[in-house]
Amino acid sequence: MEANRLKQVMARIFGVDVSAIGDDASPDTIENWDSLRHMNLVLALEEEFGIELTDDQTVEIMSYPLIKIVLSEHGIEI
Amino acid sequence: MTSFVSSHTRACSLPLSELLDGVSKLEKEGSDSAVRICFLRNITVEGVEPFLKFHCLTAGIRPGIIFGNYDMVLQEIMDESSPLHHNPPDMVVLSLVMEQLDPGYRSCGWQGDRVINELESLFELLAGRTDALLMVNTFIPPFDGEFGVTGHDWNTDTSGEISRVNRAIRAYVAAHRSRFMLADWERIARLHGEDGCMDYRFWYMSKAPFKKQFLNSYAWDIARSVKALKGKAKKCLVLDCDNTLWGGVVGEDGLQGIALDRNSYPGNIFHEFQRTVLTLHERGVLIVLCSKNNEEDVWEVLDRHPHSLLKREHLSAWRINWNDKATNFRELADKLNLGLDSFVFVDDNPTECDLVATTLPDVTVIRVPDKLYLYPRLLLKDGLFDTLNVSGEDRQRARMYQTEAQRKDAARQYDSIDQYLSSLALVATIHPATSGEVARIAQLTQKTNQFNLTTRRYAEGEIARFLSREDHGVFSLKVTDKFGDSGLTGVLIAVREGSVGRIDSLLLSCRILGRNLETVFLHHCLALLEAAWGVKEWCGEYLPTRKNRQVEDFYDRMGFAVTAESEAGKMYQLPVTRRESPDITYITIEE
Repeated sequence: MEANRLKQVMARIFGVDVSAIGDDASPDTIENWDSLRHMNLVLALEEEFGIELTDDQTVEIMSYPLIKIVLSEHGIEI
Repeated sequence: MTSFVSSHTRACSLPLSELLDGVSKLEKEGSDSAVRICFLRNITVEGVEPFLKFHCLTAGIRPGIIFGNYDMVLQEIMDESSPLHHNPPDMVVLSLVMEQLDPGYRSCGWQGDRVINELESLFELLAGRTDALLMVNTFIPPFDGEFGVTGHDWNTDTSGEISRVNRAIRAYVAAHRSRFMLADWERIARLHGEDGCMDYRFWYMSKAPFKKQFLNSYAWDIARSVKALKGKAKKCLVLDCDNTLWGGVVGEDGLQGIALDRNSYPGNIFHEFQRTVLTLHERGVLIVLCSKNNEEDVWEVLDRHPHSLLKREHLSAWRINWNDKATNFRELADKLNLGLDSFVFVDDNPTECDLVATTLPDVTVIRVPDKLYLYPRLLLKDGLFDTLNVSGEDRQRARMYQTEAQRKDAARQYDSIDQYLSSLALVATIHPATSGEVARIAQLTQKTNQFNLTTRRYAEGEIARFLSREDHGVFSLKVTDKFGDSGLTGVLIAVREGSVGRIDSLLLSCRILGRNLETVFLHHCLALLEAAWGVKEWCGEYLPTRKNRQVEDFYDRMGFAVTAESEAGKMYQLPVTRRESPDITYITIEE
């Protein structure tokens, strides 16, 4: 459920189909994942989950597994 | 009943991911025109893109947006291979922050003079290097003063200096308003405040200084200019009376009982709403009444209520009767020669609003808000009536439409239409366009939808360039008759291509139609060009849009032969030797 929610947000930000967001999604697997869209990803995750990422976290979330870890640090289990 | 909500308001409430989703859905729908926008910037401003796309696509305009390289404004302007030159945009948007323009900014004793000079040179350089419309921004004054609250020289602190730079920018834009438009960042910052505007995190990390509220409003201002450029401005404001122009029902409450007194609530709200209506009238918007009242009750308010700002002379037409409003609207559109999509309708009654919205979906319907205090500024907020450059003709237009109504009444007294037309003493002034007419001509190409063979929109810079070229002919038509002067209301643009003359654009304002002026105008221009150019053959085009069906057989009627026909339009051809100038005796031609 929460995984779908996360993948849906990522799909919209990167302009791809949800099915393209695999469990290993990263800039290596998603061509559109550039520095500009990374900013949008930060903003969209904060909006979607009602959290505020720390400065370090905004840089750390460079893959789907890393996003899951950072979200769990905010008490959101995917 | 869903009342009108602007895309500005809608985008603001959407999470970013849903906005992007909305944009990709809108991109799959059709749009009736396209615009190319190029950002030249010294910041990361790509965040504006989804908002700008959303506002343009909602208005039926497909935007092609490109961003010049980061902090390479001058290079992009000078480099002949940059997109600015090899794929010329319709609009160039400069997005500049002071921190990048002047490294000394925010240090004590900073002064704006050098930046003012640099910006003015930059604007001039840019204006000389492109024909596009140019949008420039003001700067956001610092949210914190460097001297705290205690006394210092407030005039020369950083805020004071930024105000001075902004004044210079505003003055420059006002003095060059045919080419330049303003994105007033200072006003947007005032609107949303520091928290709504400034993204300090991404400013320091990625030189992206703005939050989404700011980006949405910035995109909205750009989109308003795009819509004006693409002829999407509304032209006519149709108002109900009771509980719309005043509080209460005049037929029951009487002249003394309605709420319109500027010294008391809620009369002050309706009084201020009327002031907004007059502001729009000043800008050339036609004001029309459409209400279910006894006509004399309405006139009593307009003529005799001491606080009614709106008077009979401000009105271009009215339908004060007990017929249904949809019927009245169709009659009004016919009487004013306007498409229903140029109408904005304001009414307090949900049933009336719903009837008009469902039977005439092209009309923009605005219901008087339940929160009455939001009412006075409602019409200005969403930029519905934005035009690029308010011209003298705009200001005169309301009066001209009143004369048009008299003309139509006069028409009923004659047996034949020719007899009536002869009585009008029509004079058509046709001549190659002069530089003083460029602004009006560009405006007509942007706004004319119905009698327009090709609907090509041109900015002033482009028209001015046509005037300077020998292989281009631009002609203007002015019309007077015994009722008055309709002003510059027709444009023909032709291009010489070897022995062929191609009619690039032919358009007439709707208010002069029905008098065969288009026939006289076309043939007179072609005759003048044949003498000047010696072309052997004319080529004409009809490019269909949703609005210009009335001219789909115009060239057929003018004796042209179809040479090609597809969904994209029809191509026509007419050898010069076969062209016959019409014999229309009731129009006098002057040059």
